[in-house]
Amino acid sequence: MERRHFIKQSTLLSVGGILLPSIFLSSCRKETLFEDANYEGKVIIIGAGAAGLYAGFILKSMGIDFEILEATGKIGGRMGKLTGFADYTIDAGAQWLHGQNSILGDLIKEKSIKTTLDDAALSYWFNNQIVDTLPQDAFIFEGENLPDISFKEYAHQKGLGSEYDYIVEGIAGDQGASASLLSAYWNSKEEENWVSGDEDFKFEKSYFDVIEEHIAQPILNNIKLNTPVKSINYSADKITILDINDNTFVADKVIVTVPISILKLNEINFTPALPTEKTEAFSKFGMGAGMKVFLKFTTKFYKDELYGGAICAAYADDTIGKITTDNVLLAFVMGDQASNLHALVSDAAITNALLQELDTIYNGQASAAYISSTVFDYTDKPYIKGAYSYSTIGMGNARQIAAATIDKKLYFAGEAMNTNGHHQTVHGAVESGYKAVIDILNNVKK
Amino acid sequence: MNSKIVFYLFASLIFHYSSAQEWKADVSYRYMYSSQLDKAIQTYNFSRPLLTEKQPLLINGINASISYIFKNERNLKHGLNLNYAYFRSSAENENFNNTFNLHFVNLGYILHYENAEKWKGLYSDLIISATSSAVLRKINGKPFVYDETRSKAFGIGGDVQLKFGTYINLKNKSYLSPFISLAYTPYLFSPNNEAVINQTKGLITGNWTSIVSAQIGLAFRIRQQEND
Repeated sequence: MERRHFIKQSTLLSVGGILLPSIFLSSCRKETLFEDANYEGKVIIIGAGAAGLYAGFILKSMGIDFEILEATGKIGGRMGKLTGFADYTIDAGAQWLHGQNSILGDLIKEKSIKTTLDDAALSYWFNNQIVDTLPQDAFIFEGENLPDISFKEYAHQKGLGSEYDYIVEGIAGDQGASASLLSAYWNSKEEENWVSGDEDFKFEKSYFDVIEEHIAQPILNNIKLNTPVKSINYSADKITILDINDNTFVADKVIVTVPISILKLNEINFTPALPTEKTEAFSKFGMGAGMKVFLKFTTKFYKDELYGGAICAAYADDTIGKITTDNVLLAFVMGDQASNLHALVSDAAITNALLQELDTIYNGQASAAYISSTVFDYTDKPYIKGAYSYSTIGMGNARQIAAATIDKKLYFAGEAMNTNGHHQTVHGAVESGYKAVIDILNNVKK
Repeated sequence: MNSKIVFYLFASLIFHYSSAQEWKADVSYRYMYSSQLDKAIQTYNFSRPLLTEKQPLLINGINASISYIFKNERNLKHGLNLNYAYFRSSAENENFNNTFNLHFVNLGYILHYENAEKWKGLYSDLIISATSSAVLRKINGKPFVYDETRSKAFGIGGDVQLKFGTYINLKNKSYLSPFISLAYTPYLFSPNNEAVINQTKGLITGNWTSIVSAQIGLAFRIRQQEND
């Protein structure tokens, strides 16, 4: 081939080669979503839990006008902390970071937040004795072809006798449910997209502190506390929100992040009424009673983690991952067991019931070493009314329907509205919060 | 039975090697567009305003391939092609240097057309390949590990590539050959890319993506002597 031919052809090829990518490069590939978004409407977020706070945090970063209406006198929703009870900050609400592969996993790395893997060995109260292993594996609730029956029924079907009932109750309690109400099929199905990891981590400070410091702090001025919403009228272009003191708020978009229990009980009046399909979807969610009782002792006589109690199916050493010299045991009570304790009414009665059980398990050491206790009964809290959402028998696609936007005006977020397998978690709530903002901006995109 | 299969494969390989007319190795710049990967990174950036340094999209990469063309008297020849491509997206924030590495390996069948009289030193390749991909994450220079497993996502699909090039004769039947190419992957099943990049699954993207890419590069070709 002649040199001039080569030069000519090479030049043509090179110019073509450079032009070709240029066409692609000019095709508007931005590094982030909605880089040029210029939404001038106002967004009101109902609820300052993890979802509401994160939605606000994102809106703030986008320069969009927003306000968060929080029913109680504090932020955090089902997150909270208690100081003064022990020599470390107690996580009164959510306390475990479930897996590192999540948006909050990134946050703790970026902010160098100290966490500890909670790898406490699990023991069992089984046939009236403490054992480290069970004769038969009780963790049988993951897989593809589980039937749509309760955990309890499925356990019996798989040959786990009644002596396993409270072990299974502890496993279901992790999902915030009673074993008799949690669907083996839908619980497994809804967690198919769970990708954050199976290891649980605890914060040296508290989960609440992390969210407050890094997410809530920049948006505190946009949060209006003690503002329980009683009605949302979205019949006109502007949405009108009324709180229980008849204060009016007007918005273009509303993100509802209240717990599913509040929506199930129709505690917020929507005008026009929400579609029947939506309210039916709400009713399919489970949200059982939930309680955390912290018991302080002079000595550590108890196992790091124990499943199988009839009063409380799951006890855990609360001090793992904390800098402390105190001995604090957490009674993590969910579902029917939490309802039973709730019925005892007083904190003293609840503590006594737990101490009696612990005395039985640990030969009277609990009462002897007991110092004090504190009870967080989430069933009691008027704007929460339970633990967290779980998958009931016949759940179907209720979560997708419940989370769907209405009329491009009402958006739903919160742990229950996470449709990508991370419901029941703080990072799931966070994901639903930013997803709601994505949906809003998609809907207003010109 | 197994030894017969191994023997057959080995014999086939020897046959192909002995009948190879041309070897070609190339390196190129590769530009890529995948809506799934774009959306995952854009959502990652959008949802993490705390990270001031944004994660770049996976756009620019390097590509290397090797092919051999079987001996044939016609203008249209055929052969095999092995291709590797690498893309990187890295953003350095305080305490948090995050990198997504994307690798592609393709193994394909190549149709090579060259007509010395009509095309005057130009050639064209059509390559149809099976594609595999892997997205890996590194944080602060170390592979991101959770649950004692490295964060990774694999993909598999098919790819078609059209390449045009020219060549200059060096010596001993060796050539230098600049080329451009366009590639299209209509279907890459990669259900976990979002899980590695945005740490969610099914929130923003589906299980598969299509990819368009373009390359500009330089190949080195060696032809066997006519009497070989």
